Amino acid sequence: MKALWLSVLTFRESVLKGTLVFFFIVSNLILLFFLVALGVSEEGGTTSLTLFGSIISPRGIEGFNAVEFILRQLFGGSTFWVLLFGLFATAGLVPSMLEKGTVELYLSKPLSRASLLLARSAGACSGIILNLLYFAILIWVIFGIKAAVWHGGFLLAALCTIPIFFFYYSIVAVTALMTNSTGFSIMFALIYYFFSSALAAREQVLYIWWDNPFFQRFLDVLYYATPQISSMIESASELIGPDFMRMRVMESAGGFDPLPFLWSLLSSSLLYAFAAWYFARRDY
Amino acid sequence: MAIVSTTNLSKTYCSGIFRKTHIDALSGVSLSVEHGQIFGLLGPNGAGKTTFIKLLLSIAYPTSGEASVLGYPLGSVAIRQNVGYLPENHRYPPFLTALQTLVHFGRLHGIPRLRLLDRARSLLALTGLSDWANVKIKKFSKGMLQRLGLAQALLADPPILFLDEPTDGVDPIGRKEIRDILTSLRREGRTIFLNSHMLSEVEEISDRVAILNKGRLLHVGSVQDITAHRLEYEIHLATSPPADVLSALRALCKHVEVSGNRLTVHLSDQGQAQAVLDALRAAGLVLESFSPKKSKLEDYFIQLLKPREEA
Repeated sequence: MKALWLSVLTFRESVLKGTLVFFFIVSNLILLFFLVALGVSEEGGTTSLTLFGSIISPRGIEGFNAVEFILRQLFGGSTFWVLLFGLFATAGLVPSMLEKGTVELYLSKPLSRASLLLARSAGACSGIILNLLYFAILIWVIFGIKAAVWHGGFLLAALCTIPIFFFYYSIVAVTALMTNSTGFSIMFALIYYFFSSALAAREQVLYIWWDNPFFQRFLDVLYYATPQISSMIESASELIGPDFMRMRVMESAGGFDPLPFLWSLLSSSLLYAFAAWYFARRDY
Repeated sequence: MAIVSTTNLSKTYCSGIFRKTHIDALSGVSLSVEHGQIFGLLGPNGAGKTTFIKLLLSIAYPTSGEASVLGYPLGSVAIRQNVGYLPENHRYPPFLTALQTLVHFGRLHGIPRLRLLDRARSLLALTGLSDWANVKIKKFSKGMLQRLGLAQALLADPPILFLDEPTDGVDPIGRKEIRDILTSLRREGRTIFLNSHMLSEVEEISDRVAILNKGRLLHVGSVQDITAHRLEYEIHLATSPPADVLSALRALCKHVEVSGNRLTVHLSDQGQAQAVLDALRAAGLVLESFSPKKSKLEDYFIQLLKPREEA
């Protein structure tokens, strides 16, 4: 209960920082856009989806589903922005707990340091996750009402963002704890985000830099030992529908793969455990 | 019964690249604090006073030595369950009101919700913040924050309080009110561990004091012992004493100091006081006052530290 209370306060703090409010406003603008722009056209017995009255054309791909295409783009884009906004909104919450005069107050309470850290991280993530769920559910409702498509896969994909952000936040928590710096943890987490994409595509991108088996195994270890952000987003997108771009290039559809989530659960658990261990040993 | 007991408690901080620079914040401090006392911990900046409290509350960890609080060994959750702590330069979430701050920290302490609201309100009343209960604390002055900090430390009704500079930034009236609160808490049987720079304040309310300098314990003892007069008397005369009277007094006393019509005499024993008075009366001098000179804690503190600083 004590830890839950700290999470609630952290959530409140993150809301009051303003970034989450901005995020909420942007979400509402996007929702408003779809509410106004989205429509359905019935011509010649065919029902098509329209944006501001223009039919979204099938682009000559067999099995092209305009709703899935839009939802997939929306999911990919919003997840990127969620991680980015979330990072800016919450990266300061761990260092602010460690400030002189604050950390002493928290450490003098009958709570373990691990609980303090995890509760703070959970509180930080909850603001972002609630915002995202609000956005995803309303988008789902708008598509349901305006296009008569109640796409369960989109909701599932949105739910997948909850663990994705929590796993991603393990990087922020460890960096913030070790450096006490909001700026450094934001920078490091951003670099990690792009590095994670490069690692996910290491066979196509990084292996060709240096054709050395040790280097390649090293990259493999890094990929599995750290949260696989890019792979998780990619995999969650598959819950919405196939990637038509990929189908055009690779002539095969992907599919949801739980492995990136399982590996990320393991690696981020280790990162949180390391953070808790480090926090528990440090003098303040 | 010793509420706080430490044996050779030491703390060395390592800093710099590869942690090669060692700073001894505390070196082999052994002391004990009895139940129901106000115990003052004194020392100049960097003496190790705050480090000492942090070690007792497991906010920092000792390099060596042992300690217990309320009979529990260091690191025990039971210690943090049963103490109230007011850190130096404490910072509360500025977006909370005074009442919300107390509720928040009370919840973190595990105080049941129903009891907590009543407790928070009564503590706000005790610290004179009732009218400010619903005002965001970002609007509070330093003195008000100190009062709120004291209320926060008292939330769990702890048998022992650790207060680090509780009157820092508080105006004289506020300081008096805090002193009154502390003495009433002592009357209730609570033990108070007080870190302060305000020596006069510590002298006024503490039962025992410890003096630290550069991490070393220089003195532990009762305030009464330190400030007790040591056969030193201050005499106020209506006029300045003539030279022959002074010569007579110098023959009687160990030491005589003159400043206008004020004399300070050091005696070898209590019985000499009567002889001094007789000598003054015999010379026909009018005596305005004759009183034992009480030493101040501050004098003792400076006396103890000055030679070390000079060395």
